[in-house]
Amino acid sequence: MIGYVLKTLWRHRTRTLLTVSGAAVAMFVFCFVGSVQEGLHRLTTGSDADRSLIVFQENRFCPTTSRLPEDYATKIREINGVRDVMPIQVWTNNCRASLDIVVFNGADPIQIQKSRPLTLVSGSWQQFQSQRDAAIVGRNVANRRGLKVGDQFSIGDISVRIAGLFSSTVPSEENLIYTSLAFLQYARGLNAAGLVTQHEVQLTDDADPDRVASEIDSKLRAGAVATKTRRKGAFQASTLSDLVDLIGFAHWLGYACVGLVLSLVATTTVMSVQDRIKEYAVLQTIGVRPLTTMRLVLTESTLLCLVGGVTGTLLAMLALSLGGFAIGAEGATIAFRPSVAQAFSGSAISLCVGVISGLPPAIQASTISIVHALRQS
Amino acid sequence: MALVELRGVSKSFSKGEETITPLDNISMDIEEGEFISLMGPSGTGKSTLLNLVSGIDRPDAGTITVDGTDVTKLSRTQLADWRAANLGYIFQTHNLIPVLTAYENVELPTLLLKLSSAQRRQRVELALEAVGLSDRANHYPRQLSGGQEQRVGIARAIVAHPKVVVADEPTGSLDAETSDQVQILLQRLNRELNITMLMVTHDSNVAAIATKQLILDRGKFLARAEGAAR
Ligand SMILES: Nc1ncnc2c1ncn2[C@@H]1O[C@H](COP(=O)(O)OP(=O)(O)O)[C@@H](O)[C@H]1O
Ligand SMILES: [Mg+2]
Repeated sequence: MIGYVLKTLWRHRTRTLLTVSGAAVAMFVFCFVGSVQEGLHRLTTGSDADRSLIVFQENRFCPTTSRLPEDYATKIREINGVRDVMPIQVWTNNCRASLDIVVFNGADPIQIQKSRPLTLVSGSWQQFQSQRDAAIVGRNVANRRGLKVGDQFSIGDISVRIAGLFSSTVPSEENLIYTSLAFLQYARGLNAAGLVTQHEVQLTDDADPDRVASEIDSKLRAGAVATKTRRKGAFQASTLSDLVDLIGFAHWLGYACVGLVLSLVATTTVMSVQDRIKEYAVLQTIGVRPLTTMRLVLTESTLLCLVGGVTGTLLAMLALSLGGFAIGAEGATIAFRPSVAQAFSGSAISLCVGVISGLPPAIQASTISIVHALRQS
Repeated sequence: MALVELRGVSKSFSKGEETITPLDNISMDIEEGEFISLMGPSGTGKSTLLNLVSGIDRPDAGTITVDGTDVTKLSRTQLADWRAANLGYIFQTHNLIPVLTAYENVELPTLLLKLSSAQRRQRVELALEAVGLSDRANHYPRQLSGGQEQRVGIARAIVAHPKVVVADEPTGSLDAETSDQVQILLQRLNRELNITMLMVTHDSNVAAIATKQLILDRGKFLARAEGAAR
């Protein structure tokens, strides 16, 4: 019987192909939008986002405008609940929202190796720590910019030698380039000797992040520059707040894609069934049960939807894994990564949509008056 | 007890305001092995009668018993199963499935029965042989002539070894020569395979191949000459 369905689809192959490719495009967009949502969600959840704090200059947003004394780190370290502090100088080529944002983080190489969840996929830590202008590059940036170990990479006034490429359990890290702190502080145009953009605070396991944050701010209020301390996740979400709204809106686009697939496959299946309503009457005259008739129609719609949807989903996963896409603003970035959950939901939704869109024509085909359908010429 | 028994069968249709009653309290018997032809003016309810016997339509009143089963009491699913096992339907326009080959079209009814694949293949081959189309098994309907298509339709109707085969103007859309071939075929199936048949036709030459000729007019049967050359 599946052979019958396949042959029927093949007979109208133009219609089938158009429907399948329409479903594929829509599910591609759905998965893409979904991965952006996922990236945003990851940014604001998880232990990295929740168990570390970012100390930034009060009322400043773009990294170039936040200038904190480097020795604040010593004062912060004294606070109860703080395990470690890493002063970081940030440099970005673009403070506005951009799809090809390049963000440098300058910090102590030894501290980077110790405290960031990074794994070198090529190159060596040793070289990164010993050379002044050495940099390690996140996998995403390297993909996007076509960088490899040994390359010289220049952007704006900054020029680094690539000592390694890294992957990270925190996908947004893979959009960063790490250099030593001193290198970025002395980079032309920054004039940041003794100053850093922010301090990243690691908490002890039992510390309450919000208490520590307010203690840091009140302790540093007496210093040269007032600070604003937030959880890393909250800090990134507020930095990206314009984008967050936009991305929140984009999930409607995802639903619209599902709706599109639904109406596309339903239209094709309804047309197919109405064209062949007499055929279904003949099948039932021969002795095919109403429920089997229904299954034939559902198989047709589900096949259309599943082939299209799974193709679109797989293409989206492929594009996401090869493209290294990220969107960022003001030094914070959201990584678009393929994920098993996304691939699974894309396929599951295709399956459900296929069944749902086939239901009305399936019911029609299985409940028609056989005699009436046979009398149609 | 006859193989098919109709008792007090009535069927009417409403067309807008008007109600027409093509079958009004009809009774008839079909014995096993009989070949009945049914003639009559157009619109008198011949097709309706076939549809009731086949269980693809339901009477407003009366009972239709086939081999002891009252088909008017069966649900739609039960009727489908009953048709798969007991009934063959030959359409005026063959109604073959265009995407399936002659072989696959004939195979369809056997897929609804509990048969091994060897039994299935044997049945399909025998049915195609009976209609003389073994060499056309892998042709699609559009590659066959009108007469060949109708013969595939006949093979499909007999492949499941039904108790009754109904035929609604089986030669109605064929030219004289192919019509003759189909007539001879139907007669052979009745004589050699002892298939019980109820056939509607417009053509008295075609009706003459039957063992019993009936005329349906204004809701009543008129019997004609018994048995052609049997
Ligand atoms: N499904 C239906 N709806 C309405 N009227 C019908 C339907 N089927 C048959 N009829 C009417 O019933 C009458 C008998 O039809 P039919 O059995 O097809 O006649 P025949 O086969 O003898 O020419 C005709 O007048 C026809 O218009
Ligand atoms: Mg008729």
